[in-house]
Amino acid sequence: MALKILSVLVENKPGTLFRVTHMIRLMRLNIEGLTCGVTNGGDRSRITMTVNGDDATLDFLAKQLSKVIDVYEAQTYSPEEVTARELALVKLNLSSVSHLDDKRLQGARIVETSDRSITVEVIGTPSEIDRFIHRFDSSHILELARTGTTAVPKG
Amino acid sequence: MGVDSMHEISGARAVIETLRQEHVKFVFGMPGGANLPIYDALLDSDIRHILARHEQSAAHMADAFGRVSGRAGVCMGTSGPGATNLVTGIATAYADSSPVVAITGQVPKAMTGRNAFQETDVIGVMTPITKYSIQPLSAAEIPSGIKKAFYIATSGRPGPVLVDIPKDVQQEVRDIPFPESVEVKGYTPYVEVDPLAVERAAEMLVKAEKPLIMGGGGIRISNAYEPFQAVSELLMAPVITTLQGKGSFPEGHPLCLGPIGMHGRAESNKLVSECDLLMAVGVRFSDRSTGTFSEFCKQAKIIHIDADPSEFNKNKQVDLYIRGDANQVLTKVYKALVRRISRRSDSNPWLARIAQVREEMKSIPAYTDYDSELSGPKIVRKMREVLPPQTILTTGVGRHQMWCEIHWRVLKPRTWITSTGLGTMGFGLPAAIGAKVAKPEVPVVDFDGDGSFMMTDNSLGTAVDEKIPIVSIIINDRSLGMVEQWQRLMYNRRFSGVKFGKSCDFVKLAEAYGAFAKRVTTLEEFGKALKEGISLDSPAVIDVPVSSEEDVFPFMPPGKSIKETVVGPPKEMAIF
Repeated sequence: MALKILSVLVENKPGTLFRVTHMIRLMRLNIEGLTCGVTNGGDRSRITMTVNGDDATLDFLAKQLSKVIDVYEAQTYSPEEVTARELALVKLNLSSVSHLDDKRLQGARIVETSDRSITVEVIGTPSEIDRFIHRFDSSHILELARTGTTAVPKG
Repeated sequence: MGVDSMHEISGARAVIETLRQEHVKFVFGMPGGANLPIYDALLDSDIRHILARHEQSAAHMADAFGRVSGRAGVCMGTSGPGATNLVTGIATAYADSSPVVAITGQVPKAMTGRNAFQETDVIGVMTPITKYSIQPLSAAEIPSGIKKAFYIATSGRPGPVLVDIPKDVQQEVRDIPFPESVEVKGYTPYVEVDPLAVERAAEMLVKAEKPLIMGGGGIRISNAYEPFQAVSELLMAPVITTLQGKGSFPEGHPLCLGPIGMHGRAESNKLVSECDLLMAVGVRFSDRSTGTFSEFCKQAKIIHIDADPSEFNKNKQVDLYIRGDANQVLTKVYKALVRRISRRSDSNPWLARIAQVREEMKSIPAYTDYDSELSGPKIVRKMREVLPPQTILTTGVGRHQMWCEIHWRVLKPRTWITSTGLGTMGFGLPAAIGAKVAKPEVPVVDFDGDGSFMMTDNSLGTAVDEKIPIVSIIINDRSLGMVEQWQRLMYNRRFSGVKFGKSCDFVKLAEAYGAFAKRVTTLEEFGKALKEGISLDSPAVIDVPVSSEEDVFPFMPPGKSIKETVVGPPKEMAIF
């Protein structure tokens, strides 16, 4: 079992994501991350999923997905084969961050502040985001939202 | 999408008009609250509606209609229970790649998600068992939606397509465009056949000393009977089939060995492990055909031809695959072979070995050892004597079906209609009705078991009222015989939940519906009753009481390899 990226180019219409995720459930895989966005002028969407699975299951899944009507193509990649990015919004307890030039905030962009919290935006590879989050004690993180990985193949 | 014409009509009329444009002459179904507008519009058309007694049967009728005619069968149901009742029939069609268009009514759009009366998210329910589903949200989308449904259901690897139409969309009156053609984005059912792969296949076939050819349901789907037979005869390569592919090659032909599988012919199961090349066409290497995947045919090179690329290397790793329509691919393979060889001689060591195995197998218990007058295999053989070659045979699921697999000979294309992938009991009778509607000029016989028959026996009402003269033969052992066999052989004769009591008296049941009915006690009586049954212009039921103790052999026990096929009753029944 290893983390894999599943990239599926689909027709942008109701029900397509349901058809795709149904196949993943059928193979008893958990979706660790999912992004879906319109591409190619609006009539297509790219669904990028991070799943844990072995090569054989993922190959099988990609073939079965390619068969789904409304799916143009489905491909699996290992993390080394793609350029991957993720965005996280992290809302921190203000008392935990003594000053706004706290070293731990390096690499993040402050997007909102209030009298009790500060929200920062971090963009990077999934492991960079992991590392950023681990800089803080979990009790200081009031809320956390990650987009999940989006990716394009290298080269 | 080219617009052919535009009419100001209701969505319901647009449904019927589109069906008419798709050359639909028959629909099988049941009306209800949410499809009343469609049923009202149906009255003003020349499409014949065949009223089912349960939507499951309507779906089986449409499925069998599709298998016999090669055109999509159409079934209808209302929302909620009407739609969910279709599910088993649709799943059956999906498992056997049969072209069906199912049209369901849905609650009005404004009621969606409010747990309205008879509301079910039928697209959610059926997505895993349909090739596609479409829900027009405006009457203007109906013709293109239904046209897409027909195109998708019948192209590439066929399958059922659901069209779910909210009632207010059926009622909406507006200008509705009728396209002359439709395009489905992201769907490429046909591809150019790879010429290099064809040449490679021809090379492999020519080099093979012990070639074997395997036909599946894909031969019927693409009408590839002729090139399939031509390739086999040119190479003098014997043919085995899957259960769905039974009849893809005439079973009276000297090169035909018959089906392989859990209850395949013993000679087929044996020889598949001796060939040096297997060319499999339109098959999916199901576990019921192959037994343990890794052990199956592991000594041979394998060529796999199929329309669905997701089947390649799915269950069985192969040496060469060719994507395409079986008819096209086989025609090209044949031409590539003709450039290399002329018709092979009928005497070579491989054919001698085939003849030897056939001779050895002639005397196995499964083919010879029958203790009762009305033994399953004897009944099937008698049936073949009586029925003309063009007879369409449908079956339920169980021992009777397996006896047909082993002993019935399919002599003509599209005359063997059975549920294999899903193994749906209750398929036989409604399938016979659908088959007879598709081909009224030939006799249609449902060879059934009592357990299967009882699941959809109310379809007798349809057969009688609609004057569809089919014959149902009920192999009546007052038991779920196939399950009983497994409990006898693998659960130490602990029979759990398989025995029926005294009900039902099938003669009285059939007579209550107004069908001809006869109970027979000898093989001779059976033959006579069957002759009489097919000569009638009304439906007939023949009740054949049999023992539940007669097991079906050959038998490849579940989880075993094809080499471990048992050819007759072992002395100790529970030794596996």
